[in-house]
Amino acid sequence: MDNVMLKSKDVTLLEILDRVLEKGVVISGDIVISVADVDLVYVGLKVLLSSVETMERLRGAPFAGAGEEPT
Amino acid sequence: MNKKVKTDSPDVFIAEMGKIQEALPERIDANPQNVEKGLAKLVLTLVELIRKLLEKQAMRRVEGGSLTDEEIEKVGETLMKLENKMKELKEIFELKDEDLNINLGPLGDLM
Amino acid sequence: MKIYTYGVIDSNSGIEDSNKGIEGAHVHNIPYRDIGIAVSDLDERYKKNVNPDHILKHEEVAERLMERFTVLPMKFFTIFKNKEEILSMMSEYYDSFNENLDRLRGKLEFGLKVIWSGNTIKKRIAENNTGQGQSELLSNGSLAQNYVMEKFEKYKTDRQFKEEGHKYISTVNRFFSGFAVEEKLNMLKSEGLLLTASYLVEKAKQDDFKQAFERLKKNGPNDLKYLFSGPWPPYNFINLTKSEFKKV
Repeated sequence: MDNVMLKSKDVTLLEILDRVLEKGVVISGDIVISVADVDLVYVGLKVLLSSVETMERLRGAPFAGAGEEPT
Repeated sequence: MNKKVKTDSPDVFIAEMGKIQEALPERIDANPQNVEKGLAKLVLTLVELIRKLLEKQAMRRVEGGSLTDEEIEKVGETLMKLENKMKELKEIFELKDEDLNINLGPLGDLM
Repeated sequence: MKIYTYGVIDSNSGIEDSNKGIEGAHVHNIPYRDIGIAVSDLDERYKKNVNPDHILKHEEVAERLMERFTVLPMKFFTIFKNKEEILSMMSEYYDSFNENLDRLRGKLEFGLKVIWSGNTIKKRIAENNTGQGQSELLSNGSLAQNYVMEKFEKYKTDRQFKEEGHKYISTVNRFFSGFAVEEKLNMLKSEGLLLTASYLVEKAKQDDFKQAFERLKKNGPNDLKYLFSGPWPPYNFINLTKSEFKKV
């Protein structure tokens, strides 16, 4: 698996993230349970983005209680 | 799902999209230690928005050429005070410019 | 056990799909009146281990649905406690879902991103603006006056920067007009990301649209970088409103 193929898979995933994390049918209200947005983005970015800037931002971000159910 | 994305420069796009602040939406943190900081972020983001709007308004008036030297002086002093106050508040709450990135939705579009 | 949702579809009959959804669960349709929502069962523990495979699977299911139905794709990881709550949600949004399904039927979303050397361009403009006839003011002016003039130079730079951006965007967008039913343009999400655009295109016109991108690459401004994507389910073209009165 050479670098070019990895990159194109990354870009595809980035484009998907760009859509599924914030767009589409967004239901608000008590009946929806959904993973906290920040956790999702953290997962996506951690895997995908190697830009130093982003990593530094993530290191400083307050992901307190990641994985806990939002009340 | 391959071949959905076509670009000659995947690296450049990956790097650029990494810079977008919006990619990290603000989360309401219920952890009590961070509640205060979360509130400060919200308040300061709004104050910063207002400061920017005032600044923009002032710039338009300068551009229009309708201000006297005295008025420019007054505007300058006000804007300087506002900017310094913001710096102070950011220091007190240990917040940087990048932290004041809360998505204000339609309010944010005012800028 | 919770219920994971993939997308609202314009069908109230079964989805015969042998392919699985998230964590290998069976994807099926929960009908509501003349529409439905494609779902699968999800063990709660997966909530703590969300990973890119889940994201890819979510998109994969949405796209399989898109082949046979009109689909309003759900935001990733929208889950419900049980079937009753899903039906309650469906009734609240029924009219809006229908409006969207009708509007989006037979259409696809395509994306375009354009990068320019924003950094360089801004510097060039700033250099042009610096010290233009301000020397008089700078030597006579007070701190406050100079402050205003500096701000004003920055303001002019920003404004000219945006104007130049608009010119490029007009040029680029012209390649696609006539092929899209609707478009959403987002300018300068970052200094380098000049344009993020979504286009809603009729299925019958998708080849024309793809060719428009090839023409853009060939004949468009060569100091820009382009990224083209699609077809996608219409994530960017959903307008949702709750019904004022709950229907039973």
